[in-house]
Amino acid sequence: MADASQTDARLVESETTETDAVAGVAVGLSAVLFALAVAALFERVSLTGSLFGIRTVTLLGGLLTALGVAVVAFGAGSRLGYVETDPDPSAGLVAGFGAAVPWVVVGGSAASQTLGLGTTVGVLAGTAVGGGAFALTVLPREDVGSTLPLGSLLALTGLVFLTGVIGPTWVWELDWAQQAALTAEFLIPAATLFSALYGGWASAKAYGGFGARGRHMGAYVLVYLNALSIVAFLFVLVAFVVVQGVPGLLNGVEIGLGTGPQTTVLGVSVTLPVSVPFVMNGVALFNDFQGVLPAIVGTVWLVLGAVVLAVPLGVGAALFLTEYADRGRFTQVVEIATNGLWSTPSIVFGLFGFAFLIPRFGNGKSLLSGMITLGFMLLPLVVITSREAMLSVPDEYRDASAALGVSKWQTIRSVVLPAALPGVVTGVILGVGRIAGETAPILLTMAGGTFVPGSQTVDVLGSFQFTSAPPFVANPALLEATSALPYQLYALISAGVGASSNVGNADEFRWATALVLLVVVLSFYAIGIATRYYFRRRLTHT
Amino acid sequence: MSENTTQQTQTASTDDRSPTDGRSPTTTTGETVEQTRDEWTDYEFRGDAKLAVEDLDVHYGDDHALKGVSMEIPEESVTALIGPSGCGKSTYLRCLNRMNDRVSSARIDGSVKLDGQEIYRDGVNLVELRKRVGMVFQSPNPFPKTIRENIAYGPKKHGDLDTGLLARLLNRSDADERDALVERCLRDAALWDEVNDRLDDNALGLSGGQQQRLCIARCLSVDPEVILMDEPASALDPIATAKIEDLIDDLAEEYTVVIVTHNMQQAARISDQTAVFLTGGELVEYGDTDQVFEDPHSERVEDYITGKFG
Repeated sequence: MADASQTDARLVESETTETDAVAGVAVGLSAVLFALAVAALFERVSLTGSLFGIRTVTLLGGLLTALGVAVVAFGAGSRLGYVETDPDPSAGLVAGFGAAVPWVVVGGSAASQTLGLGTTVGVLAGTAVGGGAFALTVLPREDVGSTLPLGSLLALTGLVFLTGVIGPTWVWELDWAQQAALTAEFLIPAATLFSALYGGWASAKAYGGFGARGRHMGAYVLVYLNALSIVAFLFVLVAFVVVQGVPGLLNGVEIGLGTGPQTTVLGVSVTLPVSVPFVMNGVALFNDFQGVLPAIVGTVWLVLGAVVLAVPLGVGAALFLTEYADRGRFTQVVEIATNGLWSTPSIVFGLFGFAFLIPRFGNGKSLLSGMITLGFMLLPLVVITSREAMLSVPDEYRDASAALGVSKWQTIRSVVLPAALPGVVTGVILGVGRIAGETAPILLTMAGGTFVPGSQTVDVLGSFQFTSAPPFVANPALLEATSALPYQLYALISAGVGASSNVGNADEFRWATALVLLVVVLSFYAIGIATRYYFRRRLTHT
Repeated sequence: MSENTTQQTQTASTDDRSPTDGRSPTTTTGETVEQTRDEWTDYEFRGDAKLAVEDLDVHYGDDHALKGVSMEIPEESVTALIGPSGCGKSTYLRCLNRMNDRVSSARIDGSVKLDGQEIYRDGVNLVELRKRVGMVFQSPNPFPKTIRENIAYGPKKHGDLDTGLLARLLNRSDADERDALVERCLRDAALWDEVNDRLDDNALGLSGGQQQRLCIARCLSVDPEVILMDEPASALDPIATAKIEDLIDDLAEEYTVVIVTHNMQQAARISDQTAVFLTGGELVEYGDTDQVFEDPHSERVEDYITGKFG
């Protein structure tokens, strides 16, 4: 581009803003395509149906083609000097490899499968096409290199969808013993997803006018789309469980005075004004609606017990390691051991509980064994995170306290521990998230029958008894087998059709159980985050 | 300079790195180094020595950080310790309240007497020692607590103040004493007027200069006799530094202040006597501040003070 024409282009403002606008629309288009692809991947958008009165596949194909054409047009426009840009001499090796990979796939599959030329020709064709795309990206100036190969890839993909070469019912039987098949339901969203990423990158580069600014724009769009997609996946996952679980959860809900079950609060008998049978009932023959109350209560007690066991032990161990023990071989060994313990498979912990704890606590599965097993699982994470938190407490605080003549233990108690508490709580939150959903150890140490009647809901607080012989306090509830939500879910899935029919619509029941498990774990999270917020606030505000 | 003629010069060899008397010149380059002389560090003053240090040697592992330092520090005055980085002045300071005990690799030989009582011997009560010899650090390090709690922290931990739940329930709370103490310390540290309306705010919300004065107030809360300051103004802007200097001037009427500083103008402004440490961990010159700055005995000290090296 000659200097004169650059100056001209800069003077003609309307032209610049128009092209900017078109490039911006292209970036937006790829974002829309990306969202559609994610939605289609999770079957939130039906490929066989239609959107806005157009068949979904046709819509995707059309949008892809338009995006591809726009991208190519930008490259060409820039190369021919119609658009003011500032391109580098080459798009670079990374972009070259990025463009080569999809073209290898396209070229290879087209030659070997669509044209039926066999594997060898397929490999050769793939290499040739990929090499061509690579050369076409790396060799020309950046504006052509980063638009032409990718734009034509997008247009080609779009045309394949538009013309129905790959339609909603397309299936590619892979010859792996007839076990696997690539269906359009997966291929079309996946291809759209990647094409949208490429298209977004290329059009963002065009929007930035190529060069350093264009690269920044391209990277920005890629990172942004990726971050969004992670949030989207999380959201879709939760939404999926909620949508599937809500019907089962709301089965037989009644609101109004006197509809709920009776419960005793502080010695006063109260009739709850709502009735949600799924979380207030167990499973029994004469129930109108079946529920999972014993499993919910079991999970809550299980997690509380594990936390009560693991937190003092873990924080104490971390204190010893950071404040008292000299850093040396011993602390290294302990560190390696705790890290190893944290990555130990949960079934191994379960086996330990099964072989060691159960014979010692009444020779049967019990809540206590489950608590201790999960407490051991939680312990290493509490040690690791508490240690990190204590190490990150500045030494200045310890120095300041020592210079005032305050003893080590008092310093730890009044300065180090309060400053480390938010970190410790974070560790406990993470650990609880893991153990609350743990199935294998519970299966071996705690869980009783598949379907537990409401009358067997574990009542830890109400079961404390005083005895005349040591240890003077007994709690039979702790020594009884009980259920927990993850185990309940597992049992429901593996129980088979006959047993599942006990709960009416078994599918609804399962999803509702999963939803309740999710809600219970998330409420533990919420409690943890609120605690952390409280302690952190005390350190920095007030 | 007349001293030059009397100075003995010698060429130190590279393997002569562990002098036995701690007063030999050391260098790795083999250049000519002046021999230090005992009388340069003999400082005559009236009154009693608050701290008397004799033949203090400090090793960190194999590193000989402080070599046979002897000096006496007079009561109720400001003593400045100056010298280039790594010369051992902070190490020296941290020996005076045994903070170096907290460094596991440190080995300390020699004698430090506080009011004639040896502090480096078995059976010394470190709590009592550090109550009598307080310390202010280089970077302001208030606790992440409220201003009030920061000042009441020391006395509370020593059991002098009880404002806990039990004391409040038994109507034995020392809240009034505490508030009086907080006010006195903050006034002594020239901070009261700036913070008296927000004593229950977190101390980390104060500016750097205010935080450092809070640390001084916190140090005063346990009623020390000696205050050690390790470059207390090096992280502060000139206005905050001026306030700290004024404060040190006032404190010297009641307390014995020992201050490490990099800033020679500061040392000249605020101190009554100055000790100069030079690289290698030796005390080269100690005397009246005016004498040290205007007419130093040692050529190396003069070079350092006039900015020729260091």
